[in-house]
Amino acid sequence: MRKLTILCFLLVSLLGTAQAQELSPTEASGKVVFDKWCEPCHGRIAGGVFGGFGAHALPGTSALGVKYKGDLPAVLEDRVDLQPIYIRTIVRNGLYGMPITRKTEVSDADLDNIIAYLTRNQ
Amino acid sequence: MALPPNISETEFASALNEFVGAVGPDWVFSSDADVALYRDSYSPLWGEEEERIASAAVAPANVEEVQQIVRIANRYRIPLYPISTGRNLTYGGAAPNLSGSVVLDLKRMNRIIEVNDKRNYALVEPGVSYFDLYNYITERGLKVMLDIPDPGWGSPIGNSLDHGVGYTVGPYRDHFGSHIGLEIVSAEGELIRTGAGAVPGSDAWQDFHYGVGPSIDGLFAQSNFGIVTKMGVKLMPMPETFMTGTVTVPRYQDLQAMIEEVNYLEDSLLVGMPWYGSPAGRGLFDPATNADLMQNGWPSVEQLEEFVSAQNKPAWSVTFQFYGPEEVVRATWTAVQRRFRDKFSGAAFEEEDFYNLPIPDEDIPALPDKVRLGIPSLEIFHIVNRNPMNDNDPPDGHADMFAMAPRTAEGVHTAARVIAEAFQELDFPAATHPFSTPVTYYSRAFIVGVVVPTWRDPAKNAAMRALYERCLDKIAEQGMGTYRTNLAFQDHAVSKYSFNDNALLKFQEKLKDGIDPNGIISPGRYGIWPANMRNNRG
Repeated sequence: MRKLTILCFLLVSLLGTAQAQELSPTEASGKVVFDKWCEPCHGRIAGGVFGGFGAHALPGTSALGVKYKGDLPAVLEDRVDLQPIYIRTIVRNGLYGMPITRKTEVSDADLDNIIAYLTRNQ
Repeated sequence: MALPPNISETEFASALNEFVGAVGPDWVFSSDADVALYRDSYSPLWGEEEERIASAAVAPANVEEVQQIVRIANRYRIPLYPISTGRNLTYGGAAPNLSGSVVLDLKRMNRIIEVNDKRNYALVEPGVSYFDLYNYITERGLKVMLDIPDPGWGSPIGNSLDHGVGYTVGPYRDHFGSHIGLEIVSAEGELIRTGAGAVPGSDAWQDFHYGVGPSIDGLFAQSNFGIVTKMGVKLMPMPETFMTGTVTVPRYQDLQAMIEEVNYLEDSLLVGMPWYGSPAGRGLFDPATNADLMQNGWPSVEQLEEFVSAQNKPAWSVTFQFYGPEEVVRATWTAVQRRFRDKFSGAAFEEEDFYNLPIPDEDIPALPDKVRLGIPSLEIFHIVNRNPMNDNDPPDGHADMFAMAPRTAEGVHTAARVIAEAFQELDFPAATHPFSTPVTYYSRAFIVGVVVPTWRDPAKNAAMRALYERCLDKIAEQGMGTYRTNLAFQDHAVSKYSFNDNALLKFQEKLKDGIDPNGIISPGRYGIWPANMRNNRG
């Protein structure tokens, strides 16, 4: 099962790479907002999983790496299972160390665009 | 819908209409769902009756709108709680001290008015984050370095006004201490500028902080005397290089002499932030090892020297950060080694990082410790978020407890000992130990701190609050206060600064009553309650 998941993940990653150049205007706007507000925790950086205290690590990617233990991608942009309601709920309610995000930071329209970006491969 | 204290639903509806008139309908938030976005995500009171919940939020775009809101609030006697980016997590986030306050969300006021790399300052509005300011500087190739706190989403104004701290060279690490000029909307809606900014047409607002007469800038930090709408930030010219070097000394009893030497170097402005550590005590991060060391109480010095010998590692280390031209930092490091060699038998030295500055963009992501180079990130949160050590039950937040200790070995050991006692008395594994080391965010004080987790679970939080308050009590018995704390603990923390029958707080309250007679700005902030609300003191 784990191998199948990894295979699917690789295929989706390749698909995602191919589609990165073909984002719709809404998805492209979502990526801009994602890069500003989400990427500092949930970005894709080599070594960006928990590497010990004091080590370079992105908190969201690290936490999801620890949580999913490889069963799901730690990098949000690689996920193909995120539902709009789930994204909206987590952004507005926070989860564990991730705090609430206000509308003066990410407006409802911006959040719709983030959702479009993170669900682009579904 | 929550209401401000002593305000009827009809009056509040009328006030909200006036706020809409000031800022437009999109920027007044009063539905339950929208107001919930102003909860403190890390609140130690989450879900309890005492949790601090706003009644509404209003988000102005400019100073004129702030003035209008303040005048409306004064007419209705509605308390306002200004926030800048609202990311002061651990210390309250976007939530007010007093439930029912209207949060004045300044996030939309996000203009970087100027960054000057000839006179080395920035002038910003409250909604600007450290990320924003860093991007502005790097996109334009300006030759200045920021001093930043760990979370890059914070506001230079908000962080400075909460006495926030950073990681580079002494004068810059104290963020309020390195501000230069304020613009303030008073509680009555008047616009004030401090320092040279009070001279019409001055071009020296970010050069000369005093003006003439009393300086009032300090009144606007950790307080509630007005709303800061612009602030100057002193910036360090971009150094040519950055280098670190670590010194170790062998014996447990070497700490006092080491501290005296570090104080000399720090107070002479020869070094950047010094980082204390304990190679011999590193394993005490594990609670079981710590419990074993302290199973019979705080060990004697002889026992601690034996412990050091058994580890076969030096007792103490200090890592110096150097900023400047390569010739200077290398010469300074040579002088540091000579001074330690002269004083300590068995001192050892290791040069570590060396970077030419600024760091090329492509090298930044892999840098292990960005804050000491003024590069904002959110990486610090990986320590408190889900990780292999808390995977079964990661916390929802944290409330950091800091003891402000004198710069002596005795001060460090005393703070660590009484914090450990507080943990043990309440049946928590001790988080401090005889090898706990101070943090030097403030160059003239030691911080001995612990991270206390918080939860969205009232039962767990009750235990954590008791622990936190026990720590405050125990350090105060040793003559130590704290420097910053969550809304839930501010009255308690302020009560420790009680010299001469609370003369300081009484003076602050007299000021409050004169400056803000209707008590509309942040009632209760850092223990300052207006006359008509003093029974709210916790």
